[in-house]
Parts: sequence; C-alpha cells; structure tokens
Amino acid sequence: MLAVLKAEEVGKAYESGLIFKKRHIALRGITLEMVEGKTLGLMGVSGSGKTTLGMMLAGLEKPSSGRVLFAGEDIWRLRGREFLAFRRQVQMVFQDPEGSLNPRKSIERSIHEVLGLLKIPQREWLKRTGEILEMVGLPEELLCRYPAQISGGQCQRVALGRVLLLHPRVIILDEPTSALDISVQAQILNLLKDLQQELGLAYLLISHQPEVIRFMSHETIVLERGGIS
Amino acid sequence: MSSPLANAAPLLQIEGLSVSFETPLGRVKAAQDVCFDLREGETLALVGETGCGKSVVASAIMKLLPHNASVQGRAVFAGRDLLALGEKEMARTRGSEIAIVFQNPSLSLNPIIRVGKQIAEMLQVHKGISRTRSLQMAEDMLSRLGLVKKETASMYPFQFSGGMNQRVMIATSMILSPRIIIADEPSKGLDGVLAGEVMAEMARIKDQVGASLLLITHDLLLARDISDRMAVMYCGEIVEIGKSREVFSEPLHPYTNALLSCLPERGFQPIPGSSPSMIEPPAGCKFHPRCPQKQDKCMRRPEMVQVESSGEFSGANESTGREVRCWLY
Repeated sequence: MLAVLKAEEVGKAYESGLIFKKRHIALRGITLEMVEGKTLGLMGVSGSGKTTLGMMLAGLEKPSSGRVLFAGEDIWRLRGREFLAFRRQVQMVFQDPEGSLNPRKSIERSIHEVLGLLKIPQREWLKRTGEILEMVGLPEELLCRYPAQISGGQCQRVALGRVLLLHPRVIILDEPTSALDISVQAQILNLLKDLQQELGLAYLLISHQPEVIRFMSHETIVLERGGIS
Repeated sequence: MSSPLANAAPLLQIEGLSVSFETPLGRVKAAQDVCFDLREGETLALVGETGCGKSVVASAIMKLLPHNASVQGRAVFAGRDLLALGEKEMARTRGSEIAIVFQNPSLSLNPIIRVGKQIAEMLQVHKGISRTRSLQMAEDMLSRLGLVKKETASMYPFQFSGGMNQRVMIATSMILSPRIIIADEPSKGLDGVLAGEVMAEMARIKDQVGASLLLITHDLLLARDISDRMAVMYCGEIVEIGKSREVFSEPLHPYTNALLSCLPERGFQPIPGSSPSMIEPPAGCKFHPRCPQKQDKCMRRPEMVQVESSGEFSGANESTGREVRCWLY
C-alpha cells in the first residue's frame, strides 16, 4: 500500500503573553501514515488537538517540531510548482458547510472560481461543472442559488465538489457531518465511501462520533491531551 | 420505558395548527394541520429533520412568530386558547406557566448582564422575590446543572462556552417551576457525554416540579431515551405519533422507518431523494415521491388514523395513542 501523506514526530506549541512568555503544547510526537484508498479515523474529545493535526497535515499550519511528508518530501521544503501541486492534492473539508462557501457568490460562481484558478479554458467550464454536480449528486437547478438558499447537506456536497475538481489524492474531513441531520449525514457518508472506491482517495476523518469512525475508517487513532493514547 | 402517562389528562391540546409565512419567493407552508396533546407530567418529543417545522410549532404555541406569519388553529392550555390571548396575558403565561429553551443560547442571553442576574430576574419579575434571595436561588439552580463554581453566576455569557450558555438557558426556564417546558434542541452545542448529563438533569428537575416537557429535537436517540411519546414530523405535518419505544422498534410510517434507517446502528442507510420544497410541497402524502411503498392513492392526502399496538406494546386498559398518516393503514 502506498503511503501518500505521513506525519513524523509532529508537534505543535503556541506561545502567549507579551513579556512573560507561556508555552502551551497542543500536540506532541504524532506519527501517522495515510494510505491511498483508505480512511484513517482520528478521534478525541474537544480540545485534544484533532483539528490542529488536520490543519498541519493539510499544510495550513506549520508544525513546531517534526515533519509532514507528501510523496516522501517534507512539505515545508517544497517550493513553487511543487508546493502548489501539494496544495491541490491535499484538500480539506470543514465542519460548517455554509461557512465554507462565499455567501455572496452563487453556487455556479463558487465552482467556476475553482475552474478559473486551475486555468481550465472557459469553453470546458459547463461540461466540468455538470460532471462534478453529477459526482456529488446535485441537480443543475441549484447552480443559480446562493448558499443561504440551499440546505446544509447540499452546501457540504458543493464544498466536496469544489475539492474534487482539484483531483486530490488526500482529503482531510474535519467533522464533515456533525452539523448535519442524521438523514443527511447518512447521505454524505455513503457518498464519501463511493467516491473513495471510485477515485482511490485517502481520507483523514476527524470526528468525535465513534459510530461515524466505525462506519468509515480502516484504522483509527485516538488523541488525548495532544498525544496518541 | 412503558409510559405510565398514556392516560393522563392533556395539559396542552394543539388542534389543527397551521402556520405559513409570506416570503418574496412565495408562501412557505411551515406547519399544516398539526394536532397533538401534551399530557400532565409527560415528555413528548417532536422529531424530524431540520426545516420540517418543529421549531415553528413551538414558536406558534408561545406566540413568538414574526409578523409575516399567518397562524390558524388552537393551542388550548388550562382551558384557554393561547393563540387567542392578548399580548399582556400571554406575557404573564410565558416563563411562569410555559417556559421555552431556545436552540441558540448565545442569541437568547444578554451579553452584558451577568448570568446569575439574568436567571434571578425571572424570580424578581414574576414572583417578587428579593434580589439577594433570587441570586442565591439562581446559583443553586446553576450548580444543579453542573455549573458548580461559586463565581459562575457572576460571569458574563461571552465568558462561557456554548454548552455552558445552554445550561444557563435551561436554568432560566426552570427557575419558575413552569407547568410546561418547551425545549427547542436543548442539547445542541453540547458534546455527547455532557448532552446526556444535562438532559438527565433537566428530566430530573422536570419530574421534581411535575412539569410536562415538549422536546423538539432532530436527535432521535435523545428523543428515544428521555421521552414517553414521540411525534414524527415531515414537511410541516405530523406523520406518526406513539410511545417512543414503540415508534422506534415498530415504525409504521415509511418515513419514520426511513429516518430510523439513517441511524448508525442501522447502517447509515440514506433516504432516497431530497426534502421537498415547503413552498410547493408535493400533493397528497408529502413523502410519496421518496416512498418505497408508493401507491396511486398516495396522490390524495391521507388522514391521521388510530392504529392498535401489537405485541408487548398493546394494553387492554390503556389507550396507546398510536396514530399514523399513511394509506397503508
């Protein structure tokens, strides 16, 4: 099995105070591997460092110690095109689906924004948008609506669709269904499973719900006070 | 839990309650012909997905709907139709006789008044209790809900987490020992263990003061664990009502069955299709476009019918109160 993303003895500490500095250790000595086509579950109570670890694996926070390796390379040593390639291939889906989308942009504009950034020719936008909507199970009539005019589950599907446009290899899912109803949660979890099977994606699933972790994960780690318990 | 309250007298009777809102996009039919009884001392859970109209029913009972709402039907409490009461009389009823816990505590609490003072204010306004005594009672109530530190009462809502603020809201609603507590998603913002503890404490205080609880939630497991009876709502209508354990183990309406199949222990099986528009809901049974047992007559609206309970849930001397809105029965 191919490990796409690895954390080696990763730690994170924050400093507070202007004169008398105080050091808070959020995470220490975390080592883990994410494998293509598999889901790694990450559990822990509120404040145990789950989201911080997810942000470091996505390259959105720099670790204070240790390394995050993508395809064998330390992500904080990547430069230019290589770093951009990492950014595209490791994506994150957040807990609050409405907060993930710009409330002043229609769903169509939100999707086109990604296509524009990818420098895809405009003549292909319609086709690519249609393909992605089909993949996440959304009807085309939603395109002209704004995030506030669609349901939380539909927003989460749009957020997932935007991520899929980038052809990622790894998706970090930070409590992707905890803000959703049980019926929508079931839809999104099944969709994630189908997409993983179809595209061979590696997931890091952050959740405090054991039943969600049990349903989705091939392996699970539990964080407790900043370390693996 | 077999409900000892099945034959208790109704304290609140909701009869044919319909609520709609005029919006720029059209008329939103948020609740249609909602009927149920809340009996003395019982906990009735109103469950359903987000947007199905549960909170609208609660706000309609409390007469807290915005001006663009049009309300029909009756909400009879202690012989009075609440929907026909004037604002002055309703203000006396709110808090002292019927209390409500809203789902967004940070919006419901005043951010610049200490929490103890906000709870104590209820006692001062409604019962004329002195400032010192009411503050002491507020502190006692907070400690019963797990906020045990003495300085808690002198803190501000912004210094609390969402969960702590929710407990302040629960304390505020229970301090006057109301006869009915309406709790709108009271466990929202609390993590699993804390939600269980707070709800258990709420149920204990409710039993102590002999109140009835109308629990509005989309958390089916919470509803099963703490309610005596359960009413399932879909697209503004109650589709099934019965004892909670019975509804859970033997759901009658295809929607109840599909909703329960989404639960983790039943394998997260999603409901096919998506929730209908509340502006142009489907004709007839509103679940028919997604229903696996759809028939031709589902295009006509079914009436709510009484159904006899079977097996362990049947009782010779007891009205089981099992009702379902489906052509299959």
